[in-house]
Amino acid sequence: MPDLRHSPISRKLTIMNVLVSGAALLAASVAFLAYDQYTFRQNLIRSLSAEAQIVGSNSVSALIFDDPDSAQQTLSALHNLPHVITAAIFTPDGHTFAQYARSEHERLANPGDPSGKAIATFRGNELIVRQPIIFQGRQVGSVFIRSDLAEAQQRLQQYGGIAILVLSLSLASALLLSSVVRRSVATPIVELANTARLVSEERNYSVRAKPTGSRDEVATLIEAFNSMLAQIQQRDAALQSAQTELERRVEERTRQLVSANRELEAFSYSVSHDLRGPLEVISGFTYILASEHGRKLDSSGKECINQIENASRRMAELIDDLLNLSRVSTTAMHNERVDLSGIAKEIADQLCRQEPSRRVEFIIRDCDTVRGDARLLRIVMENLMRNSWKYTSKHEQAHIEFACETRRERPVFYVRDDGAGFDPAHAKRLFKPFQRLHGAVDFPGTGIGLATVQRIIARHGGEIWAEGAVEKGATFYFSL
Amino acid sequence: MTRQAQPARSLRGKLTTLSSWCACLSLILLLCSDSFAFPGPEPNRPTQYDVEAAYLFNFGRFVSWPITEPPSGQFLICILGDDPFGLTLDKTVSGENLHGKRVADKRISHPQDAVGCSILYISSSESSRLSKILPLLKDAPVLTVSDMPDFAQQGGMIQFIVRDGRVRFVVNMGPTQTDGLALSSELLKVALEVIPPKGSH
Repeated sequence: MPDLRHSPISRKLTIMNVLVSGAALLAASVAFLAYDQYTFRQNLIRSLSAEAQIVGSNSVSALIFDDPDSAQQTLSALHNLPHVITAAIFTPDGHTFAQYARSEHERLANPGDPSGKAIATFRGNELIVRQPIIFQGRQVGSVFIRSDLAEAQQRLQQYGGIAILVLSLSLASALLLSSVVRRSVATPIVELANTARLVSEERNYSVRAKPTGSRDEVATLIEAFNSMLAQIQQRDAALQSAQTELERRVEERTRQLVSANRELEAFSYSVSHDLRGPLEVISGFTYILASEHGRKLDSSGKECINQIENASRRMAELIDDLLNLSRVSTTAMHNERVDLSGIAKEIADQLCRQEPSRRVEFIIRDCDTVRGDARLLRIVMENLMRNSWKYTSKHEQAHIEFACETRRERPVFYVRDDGAGFDPAHAKRLFKPFQRLHGAVDFPGTGIGLATVQRIIARHGGEIWAEGAVEKGATFYFSL
Repeated sequence: MTRQAQPARSLRGKLTTLSSWCACLSLILLLCSDSFAFPGPEPNRPTQYDVEAAYLFNFGRFVSWPITEPPSGQFLICILGDDPFGLTLDKTVSGENLHGKRVADKRISHPQDAVGCSILYISSSESSRLSKILPLLKDAPVLTVSDMPDFAQQGGMIQFIVRDGRVRFVVNMGPTQTDGLALSSELLKVALEVIPPKGSH
């Protein structure tokens, strides 16, 4: 038999019905059988005692006048009672006066205590009755009758058979009736369970359990289940609409942001572009002023012109950098193979040519090519290497290294120098536009280069970070 | 007692059988030790007259007499002629009651003295006078008992006969009926012979 705990509820109900009715009937049958046996035995005692009394009173004269034959005759009447195995009459002093046996093989009774009172005892499968024979107030002997309980056993068997028959009939009818019960109790629960499974498996909250039409707890359960489903559906719908609304809003905001950004970039581009015109006019006319009217100016005037020229040049650089920054964000990306080591060598040569007086040792390692936009990556390399070149300018002897390594299974490139370095506490400010850690007097610059580099790296889906310490050099790492 | 092969029983049944057998065995041993202690002929065995004395008294228990005003308040058992019982009868009846009267025994030598007796034992010494004695008692409610041969045939009521070493008796119904005595069927049942009254079977 399979484990009852895991069997379906209808089977449980059936088994419960059968068990309950079976147990009740069994208890009733056992009680009935026990009571029947009890009363039967009591009746047997009564009838056998009466029999013994009759035998005794019929044997009084035989005992008194010492006539065992007569007593024997009286006893032999007992053969009409087939359940009597043996019987005997004893004299008061314990001698056997007369005896009777159903068959020759039966062992005869022994007197025990012949003077004793009437007794009736069950021994094994036998009933033994002893009855004193009293005549005119005096005991003249005693009668023993030993009877078997075959009738009781037969009765037990018959009644047991009937009980088993009734039991099996009742169990069969309980089985039949339980199908009716199953219909009214188990079926709605099973359907409810099926619906619940459907809901949880398919996440379909639109199904509903079928109401039973009755007003019991199962109906309440189904009703509650359906109302829970309705609530879930409602909340689902509300959640869905809220999400749609949110997405719509995000999209709208994004669109607004994108257009605002674009406008801003266009604005900054056009501003930078448009600023160039007047600047060129300023620097052009300043050049003319210096070259054609320089002689008319005293040293202080020449110094003013010099200051104007320097400022114009710085402004031009600033405008170029701003244009680069806005271009980096807006221009389309190409995807091609880029040899960063080759670019590093070109830039190093270029730098050495520009300032041959400086003693800088370049160490360029050969790294694997990467995929990315060659023009943008060149901007990255130029910015990083020019930075290193710039910040080592105060040192007599300097080293600049480009190399690569593998960190967390990704290639990481770095540019390292042993220049001025920076305070690590401000490392994050490095990459923000117009933020500079060094004064313009020490190291000229616009503060836009590293911001541009970060934008390019971000567009390539990579990361950039810096390590360093004041006067201990700086290392700029990036991955793509 | 014989023990035959019994069908297999429960342990309790076996134990019961065992204990009853033990009881039997000890009883047998007890009886054996008794017989060893008193070897030879049994000294306590009652003689014929001991038995007859007891029977005389016991007849009184199975016979009812017509209600007459008794001369004495006693139930008299009388012995006519030589007394064969000696002290036995005295011992038997002493302290006994029958039909609400105290039982007493009395020796008489003349049948006329039998008035007031309920039971009359006629000794065999009176056998020659029997034909004269019986008619004298004809209408008196007296149960006549004797161990004379042919006592019943001659009109006596109860005659002792020793058969197979056992004291038995013959009942003659005729005279008991004419005298108004009622003999219990129990008594007749154990009688060796019952002579029916004349004119009936």
